[in-house]
Amino acid sequence: MSLLWQVLVNGVLLGGLYALMALGLALVWGVLNIVNLAHGAFIMLGAYVCYFLFTGLGLDPFAALPLTAIALFAFGYLIQRCVLNLVIRAPMFNTLLITFGIDVVLTFLAQIFFSADFRTINPDYAGDNFALFGATVPLVRVLAFAVALGLTLILWAFLARARMGRAIRATAQNLVAARLYGVEPRRIYALTFALGAGLAGTAGGLYGVVSQVNPYIGASLTAKSFAIAIIGGLESPLGVLVGGLFLGIVESLTSLYIGPTYTDVASFGILVLVLVVHPSGLLGRTT
Amino acid sequence: MNRRALWALVVIALVALSTVPWVASPSLIQFGISTLLLATLAQGWNIIGGYTGYASFGNSVFYGLGSYGVAIAMVQWSLPFGVGLVFGAGLAVAFAVLLGLPVLRLRGHYFAICTLALAEVMIAIVSNLDIAGRNTGLVLPLLRGDALFYELALGLLAATTLAVFWIAHSRFGFGLIAIRENEEAAAVMGVDTTRYKVMAFAISGFFTSLAGGIHAYWITFLDPVSAFDIGLNVKMIIMAVFGGPGSVLGPVVGAFLLSAISEVLSTEISTVAGLFFGAVIVVAVVFMPRGLADLGRRFRKVGWRYFAENVRAHRL
Repeated sequence: MSLLWQVLVNGVLLGGLYALMALGLALVWGVLNIVNLAHGAFIMLGAYVCYFLFTGLGLDPFAALPLTAIALFAFGYLIQRCVLNLVIRAPMFNTLLITFGIDVVLTFLAQIFFSADFRTINPDYAGDNFALFGATVPLVRVLAFAVALGLTLILWAFLARARMGRAIRATAQNLVAARLYGVEPRRIYALTFALGAGLAGTAGGLYGVVSQVNPYIGASLTAKSFAIAIIGGLESPLGVLVGGLFLGIVESLTSLYIGPTYTDVASFGILVLVLVVHPSGLLGRTT
Repeated sequence: MNRRALWALVVIALVALSTVPWVASPSLIQFGISTLLLATLAQGWNIIGGYTGYASFGNSVFYGLGSYGVAIAMVQWSLPFGVGLVFGAGLAVAFAVLLGLPVLRLRGHYFAICTLALAEVMIAIVSNLDIAGRNTGLVLPLLRGDALFYELALGLLAATTLAVFWIAHSRFGFGLIAIRENEEAAAVMGVDTTRYKVMAFAISGFFTSLAGGIHAYWITFLDPVSAFDIGLNVKMIIMAVFGGPGSVLGPVVGAFLLSAISEVLSTEISTVAGLFFGAVIVVAVVFMPRGLADLGRRFRKVGWRYFAENVRAHRL
């Protein structure tokens, strides 16, 4: 029983971080209709930015997160303005290919500049634990979870209330109508993509604290983010949060009851099943 | 160039290529084998991706099944190579039919990522199978005969290209193109879309698995991660798209050209070759989204404006 409790706690903490990872992908997909296959590479870059701010400048990793987010935000803005905007009206397959190309380029550049070594962001308090009703909880995981949850709620509030957030949602729903109301799609697209990259960067920083980073983590993180976006739907950040928590718990349970090598089978198996049974996501609208 | 001259050229190229093992150096023959196999993969992908318009990221599953079919038959059951090829192809066709039925109902991004997930699932499943040697993989008996592998690969590429030629000129192929252009309209016109799509997926899987089987016996070693490598799937897509998806010779030309450039680059600096592939995708998708085949057709008419027109057509 206490083992199950521990596994559930682990799953929820992991799931919060997963949700933050998937948030940017789901946002960009919903608004620009681009599935960004370089999303995992953005997460990887965020992890390295945070790592170098920590080792180079001695910044606390959590204090380095806003800087990481700003760096990736700017990077995402440039990628969208200079590259993706050129193919935004091309068939879906072309946009999929071009983001894959960006992913390959970023992965190889990371390999050249950062080497293939595994790295971890390791602050003094990385080993601290505390007990929660009998479960041992690592401090950094709770902090990462709190940041992820906070950002998800902030994004939700931003999209629901802020003027810019509403312009983003309007663009997602109907480009022509949004234009008639004075929304400038070029700017909204670039901002949305930058926002997605910034979120990915933040998730990367947190990932570097709780896990290990090398240039090749991107592909599987993209696939996971996609699975979460499918489970949670593209409608709302809250749906993505539910999807992330669900996947986190499923992976933890699989690892306990079936075996740690089967976690990917479980998550991708669920992805395939959900797609086949209900292609717009478990919580998504039916089209 | 008229049609007859083009085909004469193709036949001459085929004959010239088949004499390579007698005149070329061993390293050139090895480069030839891997290029011919890559061209076969690009051509195989062309059937489902280029003609039918379904962006499959699951063709590396067929490749892996073909490799493991040969490896399991030869290592675990001591059967001859040919039986292994048939076994692997059977696995791939069965997979294409069983998983194609549900998965080919998905469209666009959903189909692409679902097939990507299938490849990930296969890696995880095979790494846990005893008969496939779990995650350490299998070692096949060694056969020193690069000339034989070369001719096999060349024959397979020729057979695949012939199949694509047949598809491009048959009722079946017109059905596939109709599905690519507008699936509802195709269904209304009486195309049995489910059957056509599954058949295209199975034919694509058949040739892809044979390439995987030949590669496994040639390399004599395979493990789950390299057999179901998604990077390979991406390579075939890039080669097909670069050459011209939905054309008979485009993917072959694309594969030859990109392999040659990549080989030259990788002898200089090895990491640059990978970077080059990424950069080629980005540049090709922006400036020539319909590949070399379309470039060759239209460049003579419009000249350098061709590239500017492509950008203008798709940007916001």
